[in-house]
Amino acid sequence: MKILVAIKQVPDTATQVKVGGDGKSIDTAGITWIVSPYDEYAVEEALRIKEKRGQGEVVAISLGPDRVREALRSCLAMGCDRAIHLNDAAWSAVDTLATARALAAVVTQEAPQLVLCGRQAIDDDMGAVTAQLAELLGWPCAYWIMEEAVDADGKTVRAARQVEGGLEVFDLPLPAVLAAQKGLNEPRYPTLKGIMGAKKKEIKDVKAADLGLGAEPAQLAVLGLEALPPRPPGRIIEGDVPSAVKELVRALREDAKAI
Amino acid sequence: MFKADLRAIRFTLYEHLKVQQLFELDAFSHLAREECDAVIDQCVRFAAEVTGPLSAPGDRAGCRVEDGRVVTPPGFREAWRTLFELGFLSFTMPVKAGGFGGPRAIGVVLSELQSGANTAFNMYPGLTHGAADLLEAFGSPRDHERFLAPMLEGRFAGTMCLTEPHAGSDVGATRTRARHLEGDVYAITGTKCFISSGDHDLTENIVHLVLARIDGAPPGTKGLSLFIVPKVWVEEGGALGGANDVATASIEHKLGIRASATATLTFGDDGRCRGILVGGRPHEGMRQMFRMMNGARIAVGVQGIAVASTAYLNALAYARERLQGSSVRHFKDPNAPRVPIIEHADVRRMLLEMKAKVEGMRTLAVKLALHADLAAALAATDEGRAAYHEGQVDLLTPVVKAYCADQAFRVAELAIQTYGGAGYVEDHPVEQYLRDAKIFSIYEGTNHIQALDLVSRKLSSRGGENLTAFLTEIGEFVARHGARPGLAAEIGALGAAAAALQRASGALLEFFTSGRLDQVTLVATPFLEIMAEVTIAHLLLDAALVAEARRVEAEGDHHQEDADFYRGKVMAAKFYVNFVLPGVHAKLAAIVGGDRSALDIPDAGFSTAR
Repeated sequence: MKILVAIKQVPDTATQVKVGGDGKSIDTAGITWIVSPYDEYAVEEALRIKEKRGQGEVVAISLGPDRVREALRSCLAMGCDRAIHLNDAAWSAVDTLATARALAAVVTQEAPQLVLCGRQAIDDDMGAVTAQLAELLGWPCAYWIMEEAVDADGKTVRAARQVEGGLEVFDLPLPAVLAAQKGLNEPRYPTLKGIMGAKKKEIKDVKAADLGLGAEPAQLAVLGLEALPPRPPGRIIEGDVPSAVKELVRALREDAKAI
Repeated sequence: MFKADLRAIRFTLYEHLKVQQLFELDAFSHLAREECDAVIDQCVRFAAEVTGPLSAPGDRAGCRVEDGRVVTPPGFREAWRTLFELGFLSFTMPVKAGGFGGPRAIGVVLSELQSGANTAFNMYPGLTHGAADLLEAFGSPRDHERFLAPMLEGRFAGTMCLTEPHAGSDVGATRTRARHLEGDVYAITGTKCFISSGDHDLTENIVHLVLARIDGAPPGTKGLSLFIVPKVWVEEGGALGGANDVATASIEHKLGIRASATATLTFGDDGRCRGILVGGRPHEGMRQMFRMMNGARIAVGVQGIAVASTAYLNALAYARERLQGSSVRHFKDPNAPRVPIIEHADVRRMLLEMKAKVEGMRTLAVKLALHADLAAALAATDEGRAAYHEGQVDLLTPVVKAYCADQAFRVAELAIQTYGGAGYVEDHPVEQYLRDAKIFSIYEGTNHIQALDLVSRKLSSRGGENLTAFLTEIGEFVARHGARPGLAAEIGALGAAAAALQRASGALLEFFTSGRLDQVTLVATPFLEIMAEVTIAHLLLDAALVAEARRVEAEGDHHQEDADFYRGKVMAAKFYVNFVLPGVHAKLAAIVGGDRSALDIPDAGFSTAR
């Protein structure tokens, strides 16, 4: 069974993001880049499906500049068999739909039985590419997946998605697209063997022209980014306990309207 | 919480000491920086997510003995399994032994990260690594198959068994006996104490490397042989046999590293304990064990760096958050706003002292490892240069061990001082760091043993060439960069400190030649400190020159955070030279002054109280 995993490289969760000079993008200087955590669940699940079935191929794919190779390399270190890097200046300002279009073109060429993604990337939290990709392919799609099981014949996948207070279970005919939620699995650490072996695996560089795609105007435009206002300082209520409690209750009622 | 500064580590590795030069050499050409960085990244993750969170709970739980078997704190078994699945222990092992043949210069960073996250846990794999390295070097192919391979898989652990109740620093007094049975197999009887990782529940077997005297062998260290004594006997094919009559008599209750089991072991209580002579070579025990001891000495220095680094970074984070007092600029205004304590001069002094020491010590350890890598890589092609690098490893090993061990305790103490009362209680990790760090100056040869090794063996080995090469390197550095604007005064001070070191070694030589050996042992410790401080000052200044050039570039590119990072490197060097290095002149005065009070005072003169 061939599985394609689409991943995105994002700033490390610990990064203090700063707005760039143009006011529309983030300043990437000094940022540590990682594979988006939800995408790691997708990679891990793909590897588990392959291991469970005892055969198959897991292909990692990502779109972005040169630095994205590093993210793909870490997917290879986790155990993916090969990687595809959509790396072209034509994609330097893509929105989710153009990303989905490029991915759909690769999926059409590669013809996997299953595409796995994270439920959203943790940078801009759009969570749109997976659905757009499924729509473009005309494949069934399920989001927020907490469990999945591909049947023995590789014809359908049973997927349980997280809903308020429980799980909603679907059977999807393959090929299909699934988006992973936290809790689907515990992603493995790349082993030293995996890291050392990763350099022998292929990362194929793919240009827009290779997919028969040209530059297309973005449907979405970022007008501006604003940093969150600094959190106002806390307030310490002075005085003896009985009067401080009174003041606290009053402040919670009248100022904060919390009770 | 365990904290690591990867930016500082990468600066030391790649910008300052340029360990990437190794990948150009045949011995390391199978590797690239990209992979080494990925390995370091995974190690940080492992340390922060797996062993780090077990450090404080492990300290509280400690180890206990149940039915004659040591039980380690909760979570240790799972962490051990993860560690071996990942394979960090095999990173520096030769490819032919099933390892990755990685450079030691990267290996010391990996062990720093692991020891910093959980010093006590890392004792178990640390000893296993040392024992595996010894077997790789001296074991027979059969030993490799039976013992080395399972150790690298994490199925067996390892220990080093030297100390006995009557033979601590004096190893030659070893009483454990070996009686020949057949082939390389001997019957072992004796007691070993203070055995780190001596027993535990992490593996199915433990490989004890035991120093013992074969019946009839000469007394002293020359008559000692080294034996593989498994806890559970291992058959020729590798299958586990029965228990090998190795018993855990007790474990110690310690000040620190409480989750590391320190055991007293008895061998052959029932006369059924068997050991295998390492490599089949009798009376080679000390030479063989010295490989593990030298590795362990460096590893202890690295433990010191590890604890000092996380102690410093925790103190720094606390100093940035903790509001207390107002700025000294507003000392007359009682309503002036409270400021984070990092704004107070004395806190800044402590933080910069910690930073300078941590980063200086790390540079020293990586440089020593780089010497070892170059010695190994050049051995076949350039004997002269290989000998130079080997000589520097010999010379610097006691310095790394003793200085980093001592300073770990001092840095942990400064970290507590930075926290104030909050640092003295269990809510913060620094009090544990202080307790964990104290052992470093004691085990693997006390720091005084290191000082004696330096003054009595290392200074004079290879006809004094190692020290000459070391001093020449500093002399050339001072001559080349002495006029550098901004650092000229500090580089001049390094020259003066190196001259003090030379005078101190002259004084030692005079004590030796005039037969005043007691005087040598009296001043060996301050001598080692002079040597260490000169070494650290040199490395910090060398790093500062690199950083200063990078700072100018970073400012040109408007990378303010980078520029501040590099400015910090320069300031750390200046601080160390101006606040720490002057101490060498006081120590020199004590050495050349020749005062004998400590030797001549009558015992009762210390006190007549009983």
